[in-house]
Amino acid sequence: MRRRVKHNDDQAEVNMTPMLDIVFILLIFFIVTATFLSEEGIDMRPPPPSDEPPSEDSNEVILVQIDNENNIFVNQIRTDVDRVLPAVNRFRAEAANSAVLVEVQDEARHGIVVQIWDEMNANGVPVSLQRSDGNES
Amino acid sequence: MSRRGSRVSTGEEEVELNMTPMLDVVFILLIFFIVTSVFIKEPGVPIDRPDAITEEDRNPSMLIGVSAENEIWVNRRIYEMPQLRGVIEQLLQENPKGRAMIQGDADAEVGIILDIQDLLIEMEVEVIISTLQP
Repeated sequence: MRRRVKHNDDQAEVNMTPMLDIVFILLIFFIVTATFLSEEGIDMRPPPPSDEPPSEDSNEVILVQIDNENNIFVNQIRTDVDRVLPAVNRFRAEAANSAVLVEVQDEARHGIVVQIWDEMNANGVPVSLQRSDGNES
Repeated sequence: MSRRGSRVSTGEEEVELNMTPMLDVVFILLIFFIVTSVFIKEPGVPIDRPDAITEEDRNPSMLIGVSAENEIWVNRRIYEMPQLRGVIEQLLQENPKGRAMIQGDADAEVGIILDIQDLLIEMEVEVIISTLQP
């Protein structure tokens, strides 16, 4: 019995190479599948509703309407997509710091809305989006 | 430089590398990648996203696609608007703090995209509209 006890004192060396192979393969799998996806986008969320009533000297609003047939009206004047920014700038020249309110009908093209939103943002015009009730036109 | 037998035999001794510290490092890397990997479910429909130059980088974990035919795609399946709440709740369970991104086709109706946005805002999920670099 004593001899057997002595045998147990021998350290059994585990061959770690196969395990290391597996761990490496797992590691490579997770590195490859980990798509650090950074998609780009714009934030079109409306601002949170505030309890404070709008102040007296609140700026004028330029109304940009887009209807179901993708017609664009800037303060009721019909405009082409590419001419929205010049039209808005003309109104802003008269009343500086006025904001743009984009009012869309539900069947308007998403692309047009994003384009106008982006043009306004790129030129520092404050802009917000509102859905029209659809009763008009 | 002597060529005695004994010296030559010492050169043939195998040098054993201690692999344990490397294994520790590899395991830590492995665990890091397992924990950080979020498996994003692609909508599974080709979407022609609108261009925008004011876009910002975001890391969404939930993708909701709206095709040019106004179908709502999540994880390679079409859903109707009333079903969408349940689907998003399911996705939120996997990733409670996930951000959502709506990939709307430029030809889609804006009403559907705003409907989805309103739903996500109501569910208190951060949401942005996907665009492309022009």
